[in-house]
Amino acid sequence: MAEEEKQFEEFEQIDFLKDRHVRFFHRTLQVLPERYASLETTRLSILFFALSGLDVLDALDVVDSNIMIEWIYSLQVLPTEDKSNLSCCGFRGSSHIGVPYSTKGPGVVHPYDSGHIAMTYTGLCSLLILGDDLSRVNKQGCLAGVRALQLEDGSFYAVPEGSENDIRFIYCAACICYMLDDWSGMDIQKAIEYIRGSLSYDNAFGQGAGRESHGGWTFCAIASLCLMGRLEEALSQRELDRIRRWCIMRQQSGFHGRPNKPVDTCYSFWVGATLELLDVFRYTNFEKNRNFILSTQDRLVGGFAKWPDSHPDPLHAYLGLCGLSLIGEPSLRKVHPALNITQRAFQHLQQLQQTWRESTNSCGGQH
Amino acid sequence: MLDRKEWADLEPVPQDDGPNPVVKIAYSEKFSDVYDYFRALLKKDERSERAFALTAEAIELNAANYTVWHYRRVLLQALSKDLREEMRYITNIIEEQPKNYQVWHHRRMVVEWLGDPSEELEFIAQILSQDAKNYHAWQHRQWVIQEYKLWDKELAFVESLLEDDVRNNSAWNQRHFVISHTTGFSEPAVVERETQYCLNQIRKAPHNESVWNYLKGMLQDRGLSSQPGLLEKVLELKETHCSPYLLAFLFDCYEDALENGVPKDSLDQGCQETLEKALEICKLLAQEKDTIRKEYWQFLGRSLQDRYGGEVSPGDATPTAPASEPQQIS
Repeated sequence: MAEEEKQFEEFEQIDFLKDRHVRFFHRTLQVLPERYASLETTRLSILFFALSGLDVLDALDVVDSNIMIEWIYSLQVLPTEDKSNLSCCGFRGSSHIGVPYSTKGPGVVHPYDSGHIAMTYTGLCSLLILGDDLSRVNKQGCLAGVRALQLEDGSFYAVPEGSENDIRFIYCAACICYMLDDWSGMDIQKAIEYIRGSLSYDNAFGQGAGRESHGGWTFCAIASLCLMGRLEEALSQRELDRIRRWCIMRQQSGFHGRPNKPVDTCYSFWVGATLELLDVFRYTNFEKNRNFILSTQDRLVGGFAKWPDSHPDPLHAYLGLCGLSLIGEPSLRKVHPALNITQRAFQHLQQLQQTWRESTNSCGGQH
Repeated sequence: MLDRKEWADLEPVPQDDGPNPVVKIAYSEKFSDVYDYFRALLKKDERSERAFALTAEAIELNAANYTVWHYRRVLLQALSKDLREEMRYITNIIEEQPKNYQVWHHRRMVVEWLGDPSEELEFIAQILSQDAKNYHAWQHRQWVIQEYKLWDKELAFVESLLEDDVRNNSAWNQRHFVISHTTGFSEPAVVERETQYCLNQIRKAPHNESVWNYLKGMLQDRGLSSQPGLLEKVLELKETHCSPYLLAFLFDCYEDALENGVPKDSLDQGCQETLEKALEICKLLAQEKDTIRKEYWQFLGRSLQDRYGGEVSPGDATPTAPASEPQQIS
């Protein structure tokens, strides 16, 4: 009797409910109840979590790609006829501003219409995941919009009207430039200075200088430097070893984001991916990490929550899957640890970039 | 529902997600009503009292809508609204929603316009009393202190929080923030005082990563092994107040000694002894005291052996190759 119980417990522990998660994301794509109102301005990032989540689950076939692609393009803030709004270009998080639906230019004149850097980033990722070729992305607009958001100290605002500025938006900017294969969108040197300035006494990164080091901001710092190709230029070997130590100490069962805080599913990705980028993820304890992530799985509605016995949400559902993918969960696609899309979507991006480069080699240039 | 007469001149603007909306939120009529009129005002860029009043309703329904907050700030200035009243307003909202980015940003803007930070430290202390690790609160606190040079009483504040909870990592960070911007850490007297403070906190609560991170952070660039008497004290504490963090600190001391303090000749007794001690620590951590990080401690041991070991015996793995099989989870 005891043996059966033990086996059942083990079975429960390792039971990854793939179908439930597919349904969870599928529902997210449709309609959310009013209590999700606070997500209105970030709906495009919620779409990203659902799409990328389905991609990791290898279940994108349940999605109508064309519908999604059209909706995403309707969120693009395009240059107006006279191009006076270039610094506002990029992607909106949703239709909340009230600009009429349109997937074509020129842009509409509106006193308060502008993109949001995190929505430009997740919008581009979402298009890539859906197999789009980005040909309708106004690259000049996006890059001008990103450039306009960078401050003297190297950090970025989220929106041209002003907002808080910190390392999260450096990460968004780096992803955008990386995907568009064009670093004119940012002053890399200044961004590196801000990142270095955010390195805390305990060898990880806060949201800015002097601030408490944190798993999420450490991911933003390291992933940005990797995307820029400047990791070893910006940080010495000794600094990197110290950062590795801080990150690997975050594992308690799953991972937490700061010393003496509770573990939370999303850090299995933020810290896990950072460790992967620093080439030491393999020295973590996969089994304990997996057991924790699965303990936050909602067995009824699918998805993952930050803690066991809590409500699941799209962010934790997505990052929980990414955390499992990092440790090699068999039914999941591999994730690019810096860009945070599947390797499959990343390969699509690489092919696109190859095409772009080839088409700019004109006038008899030999490949 | 909005008073139709008051708004009769305006054509409400619904959200337009096109023929196939995605991730759509199902709003009640009341919610849509408020926001449809908000969008109408936004389009006109109307600067009026009714617009200002509507932003409050919109905020109540969704305090994360940054466009509403921005428009409210435009109106605050255009209508020369009473900023003290705005401070009261934002105080209430933050108390209800202390983990929202927009509300803290708004407060910062109002404080800047007023040029008056006099309420801030007390307000933030209030918020921290409900959640002593609220990242937004700490960030705002650092901004106020740095901007308005309010360093005076902050170390005392930090100490009171550490009295409440010596494991509050945010408070330890704040301690470092205050000292680095006031006396700095170059003076030996400061380093001595802080080292003592740390050792005392370790005695009270040994299993505390924060205090060890602080101690190491303060000393690591001047050489852990060069602090007179510290190694001895830590070795004492190892007997009675051990923890994975203490052992890691010891390892780092030995590594520092190998790197800086001791001749690199691998035949040197001192070097060999130090290396052995360091490897013993790795083994203790991997096998007993910090087994969750077994692979990591073994990797560090191999790396150290590789760098400072004399003869490399056959079968030694290089630091970059894992000694054990890749982990399987199924």
